[in-house]
Amino acid sequence: MMASERAEIDSAAALWLERMRGPVQDSAVAASFDAWIAEDPRHVESYALMASLWQSEGLAQAACPTRAGNDNAAGLDAADARHGGVWGRRRWFGLAAGLAALAVAVPLGQGLFAPTHTYEASWGATREITLADGSHIQLSGGSRLSVRLTPWSREAELEKGEAFFDVAHEALRGFAVEAEGARVEVLGTAFDIDVLAGGRREVRVYRGLVQVAGESGAWRLPAGTGLILDGAHVRSLEGIGGDRPGWLDGWFDAQDTRLDRLIERLNRTSRIPVELDDPQLGELRVTGRFEMHRPQEIVETLAAIHGLSWSRDEGRYRIGRQ
Amino acid sequence: MVQSRLIGYLRARGARADLAEDIAQETVLRLIAISRTKEIGSVFALGFRIADNLLVDQHRAESRYADAGQGGDDHEGQWQNAAPSLERVLDSRRAIEVFQRCLNRMPALRREVLVRRRLRNESCRAIGEDLALSSKAVEKHITRGLVDLRRAMEKAGIDPAGWNE
Repeated sequence: MMASERAEIDSAAALWLERMRGPVQDSAVAASFDAWIAEDPRHVESYALMASLWQSEGLAQAACPTRAGNDNAAGLDAADARHGGVWGRRRWFGLAAGLAALAVAVPLGQGLFAPTHTYEASWGATREITLADGSHIQLSGGSRLSVRLTPWSREAELEKGEAFFDVAHEALRGFAVEAEGARVEVLGTAFDIDVLAGGRREVRVYRGLVQVAGESGAWRLPAGTGLILDGAHVRSLEGIGGDRPGWLDGWFDAQDTRLDRLIERLNRTSRIPVELDDPQLGELRVTGRFEMHRPQEIVETLAAIHGLSWSRDEGRYRIGRQ
Repeated sequence: MVQSRLIGYLRARGARADLAEDIAQETVLRLIAISRTKEIGSVFALGFRIADNLLVDQHRAESRYADAGQGGDDHEGQWQNAAPSLERVLDSRRAIEVFQRCLNRMPALRREVLVRRRLRNESCRAIGEDLALSSKAVEKHITRGLVDLRRAMEKAGIDPAGWNE
């Protein structure tokens, strides 16, 4: 076997060992693990050896300096004595490790004290945010975002809603956004993330390149493409035009979009909320370009498309069956 | 296919050929029984777990048998099967030394990540938060660290695969 091929198998085995230990395993991850094992008998062998190595008491003892030290102190053998003893060496390495820890302690400390800022946009209003690094974020109504900038990292978490990121390019400090377990990493780019009810996440890239890591894998998305992550299902989006998402200009392009998703988006910007009488109506599909600042027009259109009735009472629009 | 991969797994885990076949067969039967009542996410992940347990049970039973013959008491680490099991090879003093040397040569951050994961069973997320690393980066450190350890074992001539029988 080629050495590089072996190294590749061993790396994959180690990664699977780590992945399969975690409690969160969705069906796509499980399926690709099974496929990897089935693919080649060398895979299972490497995996088994990695598992033995990781679980061995030997590794636990080696990793635990005090325990291993006691064991060795109790029975220093001839080989150890020849090399000046495991003890002496370990103490030296311990000191080196201590110094190394000290060296990284200073910047880590700064990072620990970097505050997390949380931004919220109220329903019906888009909020513009400029971060200390010069990045611009447009936060859609009803959305919540937290941001933490440290000297070496820029991390954000989109807890709910939708946001458009125009990230200031920095060679060393990446920018990463977490959204319901998916991670979007960028260097300098413009992209949109939408966290919808039920854990569905949509990412659209308008400039540059981003990497998205979800439960079932990782993808690189160049400008003009996108990705929908919905549980174990992944779907790619093509032909995303323009330099920013339509919602910033008050437009929404529905393409075979569920009615409840359209309404969820509409309610982010509409001052008058829209409700469905029956949640089942949310499964109806809609296609078309909608101007989000005119909720009543949209309500009328939706009613016309699907033969529904609508009314306005108590400060809200209601859509129901005729 | 499932059975042959299970045998491959058990052999690489240090089980004798006949034992590996018996356990693989028993594991397949149990997998079938489980699949009747619930959906199995990963057949191999579950299969390996069942096989691990059966292998440990078997070692225990053999050690009890051997100990009974010698009038010894029943505790682990006294297994009397003819071939050294993989775990015992990797638990030897020499293996501990090789592990230790390899850990000492790693970048401090990688060693820290490995020790926290192995000894304290901390989650990647918790480790990442403490060390200002992404979960992905933590995962990468663990993966590279494991491969380093594996290479160190090979270089030292402790190739677990060669110790099957």
